[in-house]
Amino acid sequence: MTNLFMIIDATSKGNFSKLTRHRVPGALPFGAKYRLIDFSLSNCKNSQITNVSIFPYGNYRSLNDHIGSGDRWDLNRRNDGIFILPPKSLNLTVENEISFQRMYEHYEYFLRSNQEYVIVSPASLVWNVDYNIFLHSHLMNKADITEVLSEDNKRLKTYILSKSLLLDYVDNYNQIQFRNLSDVFDYAPNLERHIYKFNASCCLVNSAKELYEANMRMLLKNVRKEWFKQNRPIYSKETMSAPSRYGEEAIVKNSIIASGAFIEGKVYNSIIGRKVHIAKGAKVYNSVIMNQCKIEENAVVEYSVMDKETRVLENSVVDGDIDKLFVSEKKQVVVSDKSLSILQATAECYPYVKTGGLADVVGGLASQLSLQGVQSQVIMPMYPVIKKNYELLLEIVATTKVDFDGLSYRVDLYSLINQNTTYYFVDSYHFFDREKIYGYPDDGERFAFFTKAVVAFLDALNQKPDIIHIHDWHLGLLPCMLKNMNLNIKTLMTIHNIEYQGIYSSNILEKAGITPLIHFVNGKLNFMESGLNNATKITTVSYTYRDELKYEYYSKNLVDIINLRDRDFYGILNGLDDDISPETDLEIENKYTLVNVFEAKSANKLDLQKRTGLEQGEDYFIMGMVTRIVEQKGFDILIPALYEILQNPLVEFVILGVGDEHYHNSLLRLKERFPSRVSLNLSYDATKPNYIYSGADTFLMPSRYEPCGIGQMISMKYGTIPIVRQTGGLNDTVDAYDLSSKRGNGFKFYNYDSRDLLFQITNAHNIFVNHKDDWQQLIINAMHSDFSVADSAKEYIELYKIV
Amino acid sequence: MKKTMIAMILVGGRGTRLGDITSETAKPAVSFGAKYRLIDFTLSNLTNSNIDTCGIVTQYEPFDLMYYIGSGRSWDLDIIDGGIRFLTPYARKDNILWQKGTAHAVKQYFNFITSYNASYVLILSGDHIYKMDYQEMLKHHISNKAEVTIAANYVDLKDASRFGIIEVDKLNHAVGFEEKPDKPKTNLASMGIYIFSVDALEEILKKASDDDIDFGKNIIPKAIKSEKVVSVFRFDGYWRDVGTVKSLYDANMDLLDDSDFLDLNISKNLPVYSKSLNLNPHVMLEKAKATKSLIADGCLINGEVIHSTVAYSSVIESGSKIINSVILPRVTIGHDCFLQNVIVNKDIVIPDNYRCESLDLTLITETNMFEVGGIYD
Repeated sequence: MTNLFMIIDATSKGNFSKLTRHRVPGALPFGAKYRLIDFSLSNCKNSQITNVSIFPYGNYRSLNDHIGSGDRWDLNRRNDGIFILPPKSLNLTVENEISFQRMYEHYEYFLRSNQEYVIVSPASLVWNVDYNIFLHSHLMNKADITEVLSEDNKRLKTYILSKSLLLDYVDNYNQIQFRNLSDVFDYAPNLERHIYKFNASCCLVNSAKELYEANMRMLLKNVRKEWFKQNRPIYSKETMSAPSRYGEEAIVKNSIIASGAFIEGKVYNSIIGRKVHIAKGAKVYNSVIMNQCKIEENAVVEYSVMDKETRVLENSVVDGDIDKLFVSEKKQVVVSDKSLSILQATAECYPYVKTGGLADVVGGLASQLSLQGVQSQVIMPMYPVIKKNYELLLEIVATTKVDFDGLSYRVDLYSLINQNTTYYFVDSYHFFDREKIYGYPDDGERFAFFTKAVVAFLDALNQKPDIIHIHDWHLGLLPCMLKNMNLNIKTLMTIHNIEYQGIYSSNILEKAGITPLIHFVNGKLNFMESGLNNATKITTVSYTYRDELKYEYYSKNLVDIINLRDRDFYGILNGLDDDISPETDLEIENKYTLVNVFEAKSANKLDLQKRTGLEQGEDYFIMGMVTRIVEQKGFDILIPALYEILQNPLVEFVILGVGDEHYHNSLLRLKERFPSRVSLNLSYDATKPNYIYSGADTFLMPSRYEPCGIGQMISMKYGTIPIVRQTGGLNDTVDAYDLSSKRGNGFKFYNYDSRDLLFQITNAHNIFVNHKDDWQQLIINAMHSDFSVADSAKEYIELYKIV
Repeated sequence: MKKTMIAMILVGGRGTRLGDITSETAKPAVSFGAKYRLIDFTLSNLTNSNIDTCGIVTQYEPFDLMYYIGSGRSWDLDIIDGGIRFLTPYARKDNILWQKGTAHAVKQYFNFITSYNASYVLILSGDHIYKMDYQEMLKHHISNKAEVTIAANYVDLKDASRFGIIEVDKLNHAVGFEEKPDKPKTNLASMGIYIFSVDALEEILKKASDDDIDFGKNIIPKAIKSEKVVSVFRFDGYWRDVGTVKSLYDANMDLLDDSDFLDLNISKNLPVYSKSLNLNPHVMLEKAKATKSLIADGCLINGEVIHSTVAYSSVIESGSKIINSVILPRVTIGHDCFLQNVIVNKDIVIPDNYRCESLDLTLITETNMFEVGGIYD
């Protein structure tokens, strides 16, 4: 018996893209026949730990199914045993580490546990260890808290401390700034800290790439020796499969094969799960193939992670890359890249017309799709500005009449081809020959009419589309209209911001002659709701926003339909245009790359101070913002925090943007208080955003919600360190900097609360002033961050194939 | 607790014809097909036939078998009001009750049957390879108003003298039964699987003399003679009684040559369960080669395996070549060995450069290793 009990932290969602759609990371298949959590649970058994709790987030069905009564790990005991403790409050969004708040929800569990010490460790940690060595070391060093690090100083999120100390934090979770044990270890005062360096092989698996790498490490003899020990076996759920069978032409080298596999083809350097069939002539190189996949005849698979039951059809070629693995979804059917034809239908598209981020995404995706071999077409309304700028290039393709509200309107279809993408423009004098793009009382009629015109012109397009990809509410009626007309074309709908739904009077339906197929709340027509109900698949612009939309706090009136469509709902992060770079930026004073960033940024900082009237000096810590000045962007928590932090005479603040008057007024009062260290540019032309991106030290985005966000990506590319709230795309793009491992590219806080924002600003400021090396490391990490449009397009293509 | 039908698995004797393979193991615990034990098939059939109460009658080397079966959990037979009971010899005040034969053992444990108030008893062997739904056999038993039902299978006439051979009348009732006859009259062989109505069984056992110790030799022929209704249930599927080294080898080869053998890899219908040993998946190293073969978990292969089965936790080093062979569990084969047409007994270490390539099937054991083969540089 041991005096330890264990908390397995399964709250982290990691970055596994499709692999964790239906399971938590701990339940991910690993090493041909295991699940990640088998290692933690087997370590418990091998450490004589009998009291184990698991704190999962969200969908833990698969974890539950795998663990059962825990009997495989001797955890089906009369006393103690295994406890799965689900989140009680569904309004908690996913965090990277178990919080004291989560523990507080199951306070009784802690009271009931008889052991004096606790080990907290993640579910996705692959290692073979007797936990008692940590406890022993903890006691020998008379430590208050012991953290376990890997051989190469990676944090393993593994802590040992006494139950009583842990409960001190859990009791007071809502009064302290520390959300979790990492915070405590990093910031809590008056603690005796001890670091235990674990000198054998271990992998903390937090992404698809890390899952792949951990699998590949099993091919190393010394790693196998450390993970699979005779005296400490790794136990797993009992399953039924025959021994592995090799066919007449099988060639298998340097690979690990689980039982039930049937191998007739070639396998090199790969991990093959249970009941996988690799048919004659098929080749698998450097890949992880999970249970029950079928690689059919003559297919070739390289650098891939195939989730369970994926089928790679015969003759298909899947060529992932060591830096960009191919990852399939459970039960996906992978076909060869036969040419896909995609039509994007949108209200705006860069470079033709742009009012916001939507245009950039559509335009970037359209040209990337062409580059990656997809037949790419875009259709949008013809606005006067397009006609004016592109008159010489436009060709008329077709003309037709569209009925609307009892009248018949003439519409023309123009097109132009740019870098292999065909852009179509629907010209209607009555609906679109207006000065602005949106903002008319009849916007509902205008886009209902546009939708009708798109359907009417489908036969006039160069390429018949396999899938119509629609953006935001404007085309929300299209899937329903296609169904009304029995047109069998699949649709993908992307939500860019759920706040804009297009709610109009339902008589538009009659005017357009549409049968709605659903009942709208309040009898009003809701374009987005109609789209969400009828589109074949749905995406939004970041993984975290996708998860957040399951909660009413974020998706408001549409929460039910979002949850109903959860299986068809995906997150794909927007990319950042490769042209945005401090290396080629013509606006800024000193262009730079990683080579000269530190000198150039100092010079650009002085230039920014000069241009915006701030006090000049290298020692100032400049916080910058480029934003719309609205509630969403977090001004309610920002302004009190600014009053606090600006007490420090070496801190400055610069903002560029326009927005709500009452925030303008608050900012003006702030400026009055700190006239020489606050610069307001409350219109788009007083300064240029690029001066701020290149000259500031940090970039603030304390948004209440942020579907994707682009400012943080630009700022990182410019080596300006983002301080963001952990929400939406901000959470997906910013990794919190960690002083011990030197990883991370910014600062994040969780609660929508001034104090938490201030805590992270102070934290950043402290590193800026007292740890110059770390600040430089942060700049390097930030500039190394990669958010390419090509990767984003690749994910869309993957999705088009399974729509 | 009333059970319609309970089962008794007769593990029986030493299995001498399997040589050293059973020197420390009861026959049902012998390894088959790289990852199975023979008993897996019978236990899986029971659970797939919804029979949840089973006595295992054993006295020879029971340790390995009892350890392997444990609570019966791997076959879902660990239930509260039934499950698996080991029926081993025990001491009464006057003497120790050794089991002299299959029927003798059932007689000793008759109170096991009455304690469940069962109407039918299914008598099974623990060392057969087959898949059967015993409920079908029970339906046959009931609809034919039989008192005894014998499952039977056609075998090659040349093998018939190894089996109990049945003669039937037009109604499919047994009219003659000869255990291992020198001159078999038919090729319809008893599979050693019987259903008895409990009343009939009780009556037969009461009448039996002290010498009537075996079902096949004594009880069944007597039942036929005393004009009990003895019906025959024909079974057409794959069925092997693995009683000899040769038949164990042949069954392994049957499994090798048929990728759909008993649908072992399909979890639907009647899956065959086996106990997990917590082994890591097997590893194929740089010089490994495997064709037309079966390899189980826990193996480390760096040699060539051709048309062979390699049971769990075995190691085959580089330069070695294994052809048409059956490697039992936990065997280590050194570098540059050559083995052909052999069964290698479990837990054996074959030294580097060892060769054994006889044309006849050879069982390599700890003791005969250097008689049947040797080290050649």
